[in-house]
Amino acid sequence: MDGSHLSVVVDLCPSQWHFSSLHQPYPLNLGSFFSQLLAFLNAHIASRHENSLAVFGAFPGKSVLLYSSADLSSETPSNDANSFPPFKMVDSTIMHNIVQHLDTLTQDPDEEEAPSALVGALTKSLCYINRLTLDFNASTANATEGLEPLTLSDPRILILSVSPDQTAFYIPVMNSIFSAQKLKVTIDACQIYGPETVFLQQAAHLTGGSYIYLERRDALLQYLTMAFLPPPSIRQTISVPTQDKIDFRAACFCHKNIVDVGFVCSVCLSVFCQPVPVCSTCRTKFPIKSLQRLNAARSSLPLSSASQSRNPSTPSTPQKTNGRASATPLRSETSLGPGGLPHTGSTNIKGSFQTNGAKNGLGLSR
Amino acid sequence: MNAVSDSDISISDYEETEAGVSRSKAKGKGKATDKRKKDKAKRKPKDQAYTWEANFTRSWETVQEDEGGSLQGVMNDWMTRGRRKRLLEPQNAIRRTIIRHMVLLIDLSSSMMDRDMRPTRFAVTLQYAREFVLEWFDQNPLGQMAVVGMRAGVGERICDMSGNPQDVLKSISDRHKLEPTGEPSLQNSIEMARNSMNHLPTHSSREILIIFGSLTTCDPGNIHDTLDECVKHRVRISIVALAAEMKICRDLCDKTGGQFGVAMNEGHFKDLLFDLVPPPAQRALARSSGAGAGSGSSTNPAADLMMMGFPTRLPDTSPPSLCACHSELKSKGFLCPRCLSKICDVPTDCDICGLMIVSSPHLARSYHHLFPVKPYAPVASFDNIATSASCHACSRPFPTTPSQNVADGMSAIGRYRCPDCNTDFCSDCDVFVHDVIHCCPGCGK
Repeated sequence: MDGSHLSVVVDLCPSQWHFSSLHQPYPLNLGSFFSQLLAFLNAHIASRHENSLAVFGAFPGKSVLLYSSADLSSETPSNDANSFPPFKMVDSTIMHNIVQHLDTLTQDPDEEEAPSALVGALTKSLCYINRLTLDFNASTANATEGLEPLTLSDPRILILSVSPDQTAFYIPVMNSIFSAQKLKVTIDACQIYGPETVFLQQAAHLTGGSYIYLERRDALLQYLTMAFLPPPSIRQTISVPTQDKIDFRAACFCHKNIVDVGFVCSVCLSVFCQPVPVCSTCRTKFPIKSLQRLNAARSSLPLSSASQSRNPSTPSTPQKTNGRASATPLRSETSLGPGGLPHTGSTNIKGSFQTNGAKNGLGLSR
Repeated sequence: MNAVSDSDISISDYEETEAGVSRSKAKGKGKATDKRKKDKAKRKPKDQAYTWEANFTRSWETVQEDEGGSLQGVMNDWMTRGRRKRLLEPQNAIRRTIIRHMVLLIDLSSSMMDRDMRPTRFAVTLQYAREFVLEWFDQNPLGQMAVVGMRAGVGERICDMSGNPQDVLKSISDRHKLEPTGEPSLQNSIEMARNSMNHLPTHSSREILIIFGSLTTCDPGNIHDTLDECVKHRVRISIVALAAEMKICRDLCDKTGGQFGVAMNEGHFKDLLFDLVPPPAQRALARSSGAGAGSGSSTNPAADLMMMGFPTRLPDTSPPSLCACHSELKSKGFLCPRCLSKICDVPTDCDICGLMIVSSPHLARSYHHLFPVKPYAPVASFDNIATSASCHACSRPFPTTPSQNVADGMSAIGRYRCPDCNTDFCSDCDVFVHDVIHCCPGCGK
């Protein structure tokens, strides 16, 4: 197949979009987001006739396929003399489906609180790419008999996210990333609103895509066309913005905190944010001696900003830990997050403190 | 002649040794090629010990074409087998030794120049060993591997214990340095491999994988002493033999809890080798150690809690600074989360504060062993279908007419339902979700 396949995963969490439309400076509401997104999708279709497209929506609690170029709906939209029919087709199908699902969302008030099902949309898009690969192999099986199974030429997934990391879905997200690696799918991520997400950074890094944190939200279309329109194969030649740092932190299994120093079970590699006597995953009992040793070592650790700010309900730490930590206040202040580190250059420090502040504010307000 | 059931085994032997074992165990009719210790206790004296003693079966007669002359029915049957195998797997096998240490022992004796595998056993072994190393490090990113050769009566260290697949690959890439000569010595090389693993912490596994082409071994002492030492130190020995089964090889594997197999051809050789890629279940280890040391099964003395740091990666464009490990001026690197010193590569121990630093994706790679997706149940009829007309994952429309001649475990209408979220998936997605994604698209678990 000559054309490249693009799957777009759109995060459609109503509350986050509401915040985004109020956020100063550069507010971005859902309407103008869609006008820019549809222009980008049309550009993808227009750039090559064979290009295929699928759009997945991540609504709170459910994920939906909004549009796919493989199975087109039978109803043709009314002819409009001023629009190119394929563009019209994409635009009307996507908007129609979104409106439909948003309507069912408002009928069911319970669902509004659920976080958007980004994982479901991501796995669905992987299944969809797998299906395309299988179809493609079946159609060309006669011509290329006996050869290695072919894969689509650069399939990719673009995630447009507005939600913060959902730490409960750490394992499914990582599993999806590894299956994307196996399928040779590139994952691009664009965080339009909200704090930087650790998981999307890792997804883009591990699959060779690019992660962009949008600073000028009003210039979304510019970012989309410059960074995400060219397929991965030609990104070597045109210089695409890459991420400056990748955060390799993990979410712990016990409280779903994002930790930078964790305690790991040697049997099953479960991550915990504090020393535990029994592994909750594989029920292995740990020797009491190592527990004491780790508790002692932990008390000398500076408490990281992540575990403090992102989770106000951090489990109560032993008394002596607090005492030791307060004895070294300067230490914990200097390590306020990965941005303000000595090796990252002085220009970064100010910015990262600001984003940390934003994180804190957001974490408290939600 | 019990054609149907016997041919069942002989087909599946190549592709699914796993399923073959469980099936043959159920029938009490085990075969020698792939048997583990747990099977040994149940083995009866009347069992057939060797492949060539089994009844001659006409496997091709069981392959039935359907009316249209296609082999679709057979393909469906294969898929059913895969599905059944998955259902047979124990749901609670979550204790796996994930931090592994393995010594790959390659026979470099003159018998490896035999041409029963094309072009030679040696060339085939090297090629498969390379593929094995890649796959092994892919699935065991925290593991370490060493390579030892058996040549001219001694064990020869080819590659030291290393966590970097490129190091290992480089050591076995040059075939001229590994040219086979002389007799192999099992005892010498096992002693060498065991000694190189003596210092390892107790929570990691110690494994020896032997690719053995010879039918003789020339040892300086009593190899049973070596075997006892291995049992005592919990070294697990697995052997893939290329010629035939030897009693001492079988004993080495059985007593240490490893796997033994004789490769029948190139494909089978590869399958036997790749069976050893996934981390072994902890239960097997507990059992083998229980035989040796008599430890309880509930408490696992090998388990430990480790403190690990997850670093931040610096980009290529960051201002250069000195790294803590080599004192070189570099842009990219990783920052220790505890002492903020800069390290060139992970996984490693921080040179400044001693914290074990791993990249969290390394850990996450093994999580699908812990939380497997529940097997989907085939939907038998149209009776209880309230959901959509297309696959929940890939939106492929489901067939509307039930297909004929469906095997056991297959759905006539091509729908497979998740027990948790009650959504339906097509058979392609069912296989893909369970084999690759390990995460249900419906419920996100």
